[in-house]
Amino acid sequence: MAKIQLKNICKRWGSTVGVRDFNLDIEDKEFIVFLGPSGCGKTTTMRMIAGLEDPTEGEIFIGDRCVNGLDPKDRDIAMVFQSYGLYPNLTVYENIRFPLKIRKVDSATHDKRVHKASDMVELGNLLERYPRELSGGQRQRVALARAIVREPNVFLMDEPLSNLDAKLRVSTRAQIKHLQHTLQTTTIYVTHDQIEAMTLADRVVVMSMGELQQLGTPTEIYDKPANTFVASFIGSPAMNLLDGEISDGKFIADHTLVKDIPSGLPNAVTIGFRAEDIQVTTELEGDITAPVYSVELLGDSTLISIKIGDALLIAKADKAFRVNIGQTVSFIIPPESRHWFNKEDGARIDF
Amino acid sequence: MEDDTPKALRQTSLLKIGSYGFLALWALIAAFPLVWIFVMSFKLPIDAFAQNPLDVIFGPHTAQKDSAFSIIDILLGGVFAYYAYQIPVRFYRTTLDYFVPVQNKNMGAFALGLSYIFILVGFAFYVLPAISHVLNGIFHSISALSLLAKPLIGYTLQHYYAVWVENQFYIQFKNSLVITFGVVTISLTVGTLAAYALSRTASNLAIWLLIIALVFRALPHSVLVTGYLPFFINSKEILGPLWSMPVIGWFLSLFSQTPPTLYGQPLAVIAVLVAINQPFTIWMLRSFFMNVPKELDEAARVDGCTHFQAFRKVILPVMWPGLITTGLFSFLLAYNDYLVTSLLLDNQNQTMVPAISAYFNRETTATDQVNAIAAAASITAPLFILVVFFQKQIVSGLTAGAVKG
Repeated sequence: MAKIQLKNICKRWGSTVGVRDFNLDIEDKEFIVFLGPSGCGKTTTMRMIAGLEDPTEGEIFIGDRCVNGLDPKDRDIAMVFQSYGLYPNLTVYENIRFPLKIRKVDSATHDKRVHKASDMVELGNLLERYPRELSGGQRQRVALARAIVREPNVFLMDEPLSNLDAKLRVSTRAQIKHLQHTLQTTTIYVTHDQIEAMTLADRVVVMSMGELQQLGTPTEIYDKPANTFVASFIGSPAMNLLDGEISDGKFIADHTLVKDIPSGLPNAVTIGFRAEDIQVTTELEGDITAPVYSVELLGDSTLISIKIGDALLIAKADKAFRVNIGQTVSFIIPPESRHWFNKEDGARIDF
Repeated sequence: MEDDTPKALRQTSLLKIGSYGFLALWALIAAFPLVWIFVMSFKLPIDAFAQNPLDVIFGPHTAQKDSAFSIIDILLGGVFAYYAYQIPVRFYRTTLDYFVPVQNKNMGAFALGLSYIFILVGFAFYVLPAISHVLNGIFHSISALSLLAKPLIGYTLQHYYAVWVENQFYIQFKNSLVITFGVVTISLTVGTLAAYALSRTASNLAIWLLIIALVFRALPHSVLVTGYLPFFINSKEILGPLWSMPVIGWFLSLFSQTPPTLYGQPLAVIAVLVAINQPFTIWMLRSFFMNVPKELDEAARVDGCTHFQAFRKVILPVMWPGLITTGLFSFLLAYNDYLVTSLLLDNQNQTMVPAISAYFNRETTATDQVNAIAAAASITAPLFILVVFFQKQIVSGLTAGAVKG
């Protein structure tokens, strides 16, 4: 069990910057998710913690030990890879046993530990198979079992669910959450899927362009996005963002007039609101009034979208709500659901 | 039989007949010389060079003067071959599980295979002739069936005897083995290590190294031989200082008291053939290593391997088909080489391929020619055995790449 500290981590390849001045304290037994689009440096950061890459600058601590320069094998970590990384010439049993064997763990305990690990991920009856004879979900469970068999200090998971189909992803996700809860091992989980981040994490690290954008619990990240990047990345659908200007105490953009806004906003701002927080009406008296761009039925709700300039704004309406494309509708944004961002740098404006 | 070919790839019957016919014709043309020298090598010269091709096949003179197979013998041989193949196919698994404990599976399988081969050889050379003798005797005495026991296909082993015993072909065989073994071992060892490093590095230098290697591969073989020649001839003087160095000298003197003259020695040929072969093995093995996902290395490193352990315990086992395929190509290059061996080797160190040319000179008799044919047939036999043994790995190495998920 261990804390992890990243101090001023930088990673550069020539002039390309992978990670820039990254600081993070991860508590013992915490489930941390690195979230960001591809190329944002989240996997690189994890690989530096694993020891598969060297940081260009900065220090990494696992427990109280600075692990810079230590080999991956000496860091007491276990890792799960996106494409499983199973040894194709070994059976499931031997795959799970491999870390014990290579680390010369007392061989009398191997059988017990392999069975314990494989039972935790419900692989009990597949031990004699080879990886090629397994489905994607089963392979990833083998990889999980191989990671937990040694009971390491830290789990690192690099997009473990990305190669699975949607249904399997939901069940394996629950399994990982349960596993981490049972084992109480510090876990770092890398994903580009914000739903995985929201459901799994104790705290989420949102990254973009090699920099930390926001660190917080899923609720914090959802309710108070630190900037327009986080706002546009979290939530399904993501937060609606609309650029406009403040004039006479009102927010003005095309088709848009928002009254009752807080004082002290700069002139150029971006308003943000979540699809589920606003109301749609066919009576044309709301804050934004425009023709419907598209209507999407989701079953439990209906998504109504309108287009203002380049911005596509989406509202979540009741499942029985019906309008035609082209018909004019109004979005009503309750004052407490409005988020304000500085248009210049995208930073959140709090009051 | 169910046709599993996807509809888009299915051929019309005319095309099918055409393509299979072409395949058969091609196989016939390709295999004919091989089969023909094999047949000729068992005949007396008068049959081997007969005008009538049927005489070459049946060898009436050979049958008269030497030994012959009757129809019964041929049937007996067919039955023997059938069961020699069927028995291991049917009972290999159960016998292995019965005799061999789980943890020694590879060694056990090897021992089992070896003992089976011994049994087969013993059976073929002692039991089979006895059975044939008895059966032929019985059928011969029954007049209606005596045709079956009549000598049909003549054969003689005298050419093989002449080649292997009188001309001491086994010396050349041994030389060939030494040289092929040396070449395959060195090029595979250096090749795997180099190719692994080249496949895993991100450095631009790797590409330049590979291109330089390709340039060396493109050189005519004789250029490499002449380039090395002065060194081989004067190696006694050139290597002299090494022998007088403190630690290295002591170590080298364990092998030979004085620096050797490499010219004429197998070592020289091995060096040149490795130089010729190495670029190719590195390229080929590198492409196999590229097919092994990097995540496998990384998983192994995280699971507790050092860099070298990851290579040896995780990457190499996955690479077997690639290694065997590359090894086979190296083997073929060394085994079939004529130019380098004939230029560099002394007579007593000569390998099999150049040795055949010794059978041809101005005074060549018909017997010498058939002897040469027997020698040629002897050379091809190990190749066949090798390909038959490793065909599964070779096929998977050549088609699927090294690893499947």
